[in-house]
Amino acid sequence: MKPFAQVIALIGAAFVLGLVANAVAARDRKLMLPGYYPSARKMPAQAPPVAATQALSAPVPVRIPASPPSTPATDTVLSGVPVSSPAPEKQKKTVAPSPKPVPKAIDLATRFPAHPDKAYVEVSGDDAALLHANGALTLDARRTSDYEAGHIAGARTLSVWESDVDDKVNKLYEERSDPREQLKPILIYCSGGDCEDSHMLAQKLWGVQFNNIYVYKDGFPDWQKRRGTVHTGSNP
Amino acid sequence: MKKYLTHPWLTIRVQLALGAIFVAAALPKITDPPSFAHMIYNYRLLPAGLINISALVMPWVELLCGLALILGVWRKAALSIIGTMLVVFIIAISINLARENAIDCGCFDVSKANLTREQRLGDMKFVILRDIGMLLMVAQVWWAASVRD
Repeated sequence: MKPFAQVIALIGAAFVLGLVANAVAARDRKLMLPGYYPSARKMPAQAPPVAATQALSAPVPVRIPASPPSTPATDTVLSGVPVSSPAPEKQKKTVAPSPKPVPKAIDLATRFPAHPDKAYVEVSGDDAALLHANGALTLDARRTSDYEAGHIAGARTLSVWESDVDDKVNKLYEERSDPREQLKPILIYCSGGDCEDSHMLAQKLWGVQFNNIYVYKDGFPDWQKRRGTVHTGSNP
Repeated sequence: MKKYLTHPWLTIRVQLALGAIFVAAALPKITDPPSFAHMIYNYRLLPAGLINISALVMPWVELLCGLALILGVWRKAALSIIGTMLVVFIIAISINLARENAIDCGCFDVSKANLTREQRLGDMKFVILRDIGMLLMVAQVWWAASVRD
């Protein structure tokens, strides 16, 4: 066989092997084709697009204790507001900080109004804690393996890099098909820093009419730094 | 000089090393395509529709070419593909270096390295030098094969 034909054969074999491997891969290792990347060729912005404190009313501070955890695990979450989790066997809880100040119960719709004109608003750790404490749906946009290693208590996994992202988005849409439900705030986070997974997920959700999405800019590392409650395992 | 540079003793070692490098580079990407897709995305060069298919196919191309070099079959075809990929990698990293987009190259490890921006930019320069070195290895094996033919 001539080298050119060999080149074609090698690339063709790689194509077939790649597609077959993807077809039989586990759910969290599978890629969907062609993929959804609205900013694939745009350079990442140097500055955050919109800060919540600029776009919304003045932030309500939520103090999260900085002292290291010293007591065994409790079921109480950061705010004292329970997160609906079934506490299955696989799930483990990390140590919660103690004592915990109880953040103010607020009217989310007033404090975090819908913003249909933009896909998302970036929020700080204080606002993220406030949203979480007041029962806002929290989504973890990181890979499932990262989620299982530790996530914000009550957060659901919805990785933009895994093939079932559309199924999960559709499920979420079905759960919140009522237009009023779609105006409820949703908090999304990933790994902070230059991580864009949460922004990508926010754009995806905005595309299906979720109009009140907040991206926790500093993400999970900041949450850990603030000693927010963290759960491990595959359940919220 | 030509005699030493095209000597079979040197050539077989360079060929095996190159093959092993590409096999080693392919395996982490094959086992975790979403992470590799993320790395490709970070380059901000490919259109959205090509990111996932590249993440699925490219590691297998690397693996097959690496194996071909190790086994000594379809050597020139494997060298052509590897040489082309190295040139593409060098160009892609250079473009990102020029626009100061600090990225993890995703060459051998698809997990996030948690480096600072400055460290990443420094790594990118090193990666370009490393790829040029591998390109010289490709050239050596190709040259030796041409002399023998």
